[in-house]
Amino acid sequence: MNQSKKILSSLLFIFDKFWMLGLFILTFFSLILSGLLLGFGIEGSSATREIFFNVEPWPIYVLLSTLTGLLLFGILRHGSLWFIGKPVKDLKVNLPWRLNNAVKLGVMQDKIRRDTYASVMHWCITASIIVLTFVTAQVALEDDTPLHFLHGNYYLFFSFYGDLFGLIGVVGISMALYRRYFVNFHRIRWDERLEDHLILWGLFFVLVSGFFVESFRISITELDSYPSWARWSFVSFTLAVFVDLFNFSDKLLSNMHVFSWWSHVLLVFSWLTLIVFTKLDHFIFAPINAFLLRTDSPGRLSKIENIEEQEVFGVGQIQDFNWKQLFELDACVRCGRCTEVCPANIAGQPLSPMHLIQDLKAHFNETAPLVQEAGNNGKDVRAVAKRSMVGDVIKEEALWACRTCGACVQECPVMIEHVPTIVDMRRFLVMDKAKIPATAQAALENLEQRGHPWKGTTLERTTWMEGLGDVPIFDGSQEYLYWVGCSGSLVERNLPITKSVFGLLKAAGSSFGVLGQEETCNGDPARRLGNEYLYQILAEQLINTFKERNVQKVITNCPHCFNTFKNEYPQFDGKFEVLHHTQFLDESIKSGKLKPVKSIDADVTYHDSCYLGRINNEYDAPREVLNSIPGLNIIEMDRNKSKGLCCGAGGGNMWQEEIGTRRVNHVRSEEAIDTGASELVSNCPFCIQMFEDGVPAVESEEEGRIKPFDIAEVLYRSIDSSSEEN
Amino acid sequence: MHFVVCAKQILDPDTPPSAFKIDEAKNEVIPAPGIAPVLSQFDGIAAEAALRIKEKIGDVKITVISLGKGSAQAAIKQVLAMGADEGLLLEDDAFENGDHYTTALVLSEAIKKLGDVDAVFCGRQAADWDMGQVGLGISQLLDIPCAIIGKNVDVSDNKMTVERVLLDGIETVEMALPAVVTVSNELGEPRYPKLQQIMQAAKKTVTKWNLDDLENLNKTDVGEAGRKLKLEKLFIPDNDSDVEFIEGENAQEKANNLVAKLREAKIL
Repeated sequence: MNQSKKILSSLLFIFDKFWMLGLFILTFFSLILSGLLLGFGIEGSSATREIFFNVEPWPIYVLLSTLTGLLLFGILRHGSLWFIGKPVKDLKVNLPWRLNNAVKLGVMQDKIRRDTYASVMHWCITASIIVLTFVTAQVALEDDTPLHFLHGNYYLFFSFYGDLFGLIGVVGISMALYRRYFVNFHRIRWDERLEDHLILWGLFFVLVSGFFVESFRISITELDSYPSWARWSFVSFTLAVFVDLFNFSDKLLSNMHVFSWWSHVLLVFSWLTLIVFTKLDHFIFAPINAFLLRTDSPGRLSKIENIEEQEVFGVGQIQDFNWKQLFELDACVRCGRCTEVCPANIAGQPLSPMHLIQDLKAHFNETAPLVQEAGNNGKDVRAVAKRSMVGDVIKEEALWACRTCGACVQECPVMIEHVPTIVDMRRFLVMDKAKIPATAQAALENLEQRGHPWKGTTLERTTWMEGLGDVPIFDGSQEYLYWVGCSGSLVERNLPITKSVFGLLKAAGSSFGVLGQEETCNGDPARRLGNEYLYQILAEQLINTFKERNVQKVITNCPHCFNTFKNEYPQFDGKFEVLHHTQFLDESIKSGKLKPVKSIDADVTYHDSCYLGRINNEYDAPREVLNSIPGLNIIEMDRNKSKGLCCGAGGGNMWQEEIGTRRVNHVRSEEAIDTGASELVSNCPFCIQMFEDGVPAVESEEEGRIKPFDIAEVLYRSIDSSSEEN
Repeated sequence: MHFVVCAKQILDPDTPPSAFKIDEAKNEVIPAPGIAPVLSQFDGIAAEAALRIKEKIGDVKITVISLGKGSAQAAIKQVLAMGADEGLLLEDDAFENGDHYTTALVLSEAIKKLGDVDAVFCGRQAADWDMGQVGLGISQLLDIPCAIIGKNVDVSDNKMTVERVLLDGIETVEMALPAVVTVSNELGEPRYPKLQQIMQAAKKTVTKWNLDDLENLNKTDVGEAGRKLKLEKLFIPDNDSDVEFIEGENAQEKANNLVAKLREAKIL
């Protein structure tokens, strides 16, 4: 029983990982084979058919040129609106990266695979459309050019794969219909529109009518005279046999063929016309958006150059976005994946990334033509919008609820980047309008005034050093700067983490020092909260300090500091080698400098912080550190790694009152409790604070309650020297 | 109309206790290294009160005055960024080490010299010494009315209306202008400045006046020489606290034991 389960699950795994590739290979293989057969002109049989039997081909060309014209006009007309936006800064060419993304994310649909059902469904539909377009093109070539190849074995093979991919398309569409009508699949219903039904039923009838056209033709021309040819069109053949049961007269059959042919052609072109008016445009926009995907880290927010000379700070109106951000709006298909994984949405808070993008899109469609017109006529473009975008179209509380955790960006199958768009609007609120939630304002004022966000702390940056003996101050002679960070030094709960990291750095015999009183916030909370101006001041100040002290390598136990140093400081010419402490610990264990020897017999669950995991793609180092501890066993939560749920603190929400039915840290704490583990291990001081707060809120029983720890605290318990030093 | 906001720069009240040190021989606070002075929070609220009225009635010039050393410019700039129009720094070695009286004296002379001032806004008290005297002192020296601890301030028809916070309620008073008001935290948080305003404030020059600019004052009237208040002793009190867990079989017994303890300590 177990064995068969295992085989089944591994089969499913292979299917999940490689089936699309298989489908591709099949498609290409069949195309290549057909080419070969064509080339050799195998004369195995004289099978062929009269193309456009019974009908005239010309209407197709009229419709095709109309459609092409409409498409071109639509794209040009609409596309010119994207360029009311600002230029994209730092647009790197990097063609290999772009082509790779266009193929991997655009054509191969890598992101869709994150939902297996959808990936099967979507690939059936895509493959069917691609192959049937190819089939139709061959028919056109055969009929209307001097090329003639639809005969003999190739014709039979052509009949076969035409029917096969028609059937695959019907399977895909049926899966889609099933999901839309027969199961309670919530995310596609959050913003359901008429076009969603039209697209599905349209394609369904296109495919079905195609089979009927074919089957009527077979009934008339092949079923009696060449049944062995007809069998290759296996679906239509079956249908034809069925039609044959009714013994229709030839005249009737012929009329039915004409009728179905016309229906098919009109359906095809009506359906294709939907590209211009509906979300069906995603099959043009999605691969292009994949091609346009950023070349730098998703953890990097854009820098406002010459900030003091800007007329508007951040994005207050639609034309303040850059053209890529506007283009992205058009790629959205309302699939709801972003909203489904959004921590704010999961906790019932007022943010849905999908609705945010859709609301912006509607506002764009309404406002962009006015902006364009005003621009062309030399009028004030800032006076034309009927509604104010920030505050009216997009509610302020939605912008503040964002954790910048990147879950939406990670899931989006058309590569929309919601987070920079949200932060751009926050920038407008904070810097241009000075509108900001009171508690976040207090954190920002504290940053300005005191260089750290922890208003009211009674600790000093050196408090954690008490009792640790000689803590080396970084003077440029050591290899590493150990960056403690505001949270590591000024929040009581985190002092044991800092002490553990310090102990581990010592135990590993590494050469390091700390900045002590000279540490100041690196600006991350200011940047995420939208105060880019304050961020730039803090960042430039700290980069100077680093350079004066000749800092080359930095180790930090805060993933937010890690991300800022690693991904954002290079924008200000601050280039340092940055390690998160889990990476350093992993390296030290592998090189034998740290030996976890004491057994910790515990089941723990591991929480990926967003800024180490999803945004900086480090899932393995922390797990390997935990796995190196004897006796310790990791139980994963359902949402883990790139699907991990934010603790709730990100994006400056550490310093905000949450609005909504639940708190994100309560939701995540419950997920950790559900694993049955005794310890909740993470790698981020913010996560730890959120869980210290969240766990007791959802688990009333104090006895046996899951305890939040940083990975360094856990490892330090397992290191031999810890007993001597404590 | 012309409003004056008095703003004082003080040692950061959020200084961690471990970093707060006193030189008992000199009776002075030793500023903690690396901790910058801040604008007294109540003065920020006073500025907010003045700005709200300016927004309502328009045509108001707000001058922010600070008495202190050059670094006090930061406090002035902060109020300018919030929306005040002009800054005035009263800076002279002779002004140093004064008390509430000399501060009120120098400020009132400066206000006199400005000439056309209709209303003066002060914080209810400075958040360092917590005396709450300077606003009253200014009104006394200028011989104009004063209302203290206002939670709402309004100016119209040449009158200032102040809702005052009392222990047992709210009192509304009306004063003829010019008048002084000291503003309390019940008014609300000071506004967060817009970046545009921060940058405009950074570009503004702060006027500086010294002792010579205030003709009516002599060196002996101000600063240490003019003090009326003598500081006897400055020290950090010992704050010992004990924690005792009340034992008991059940809640009722614990409550009984607690009451017994409280009676013993003569608290009940």
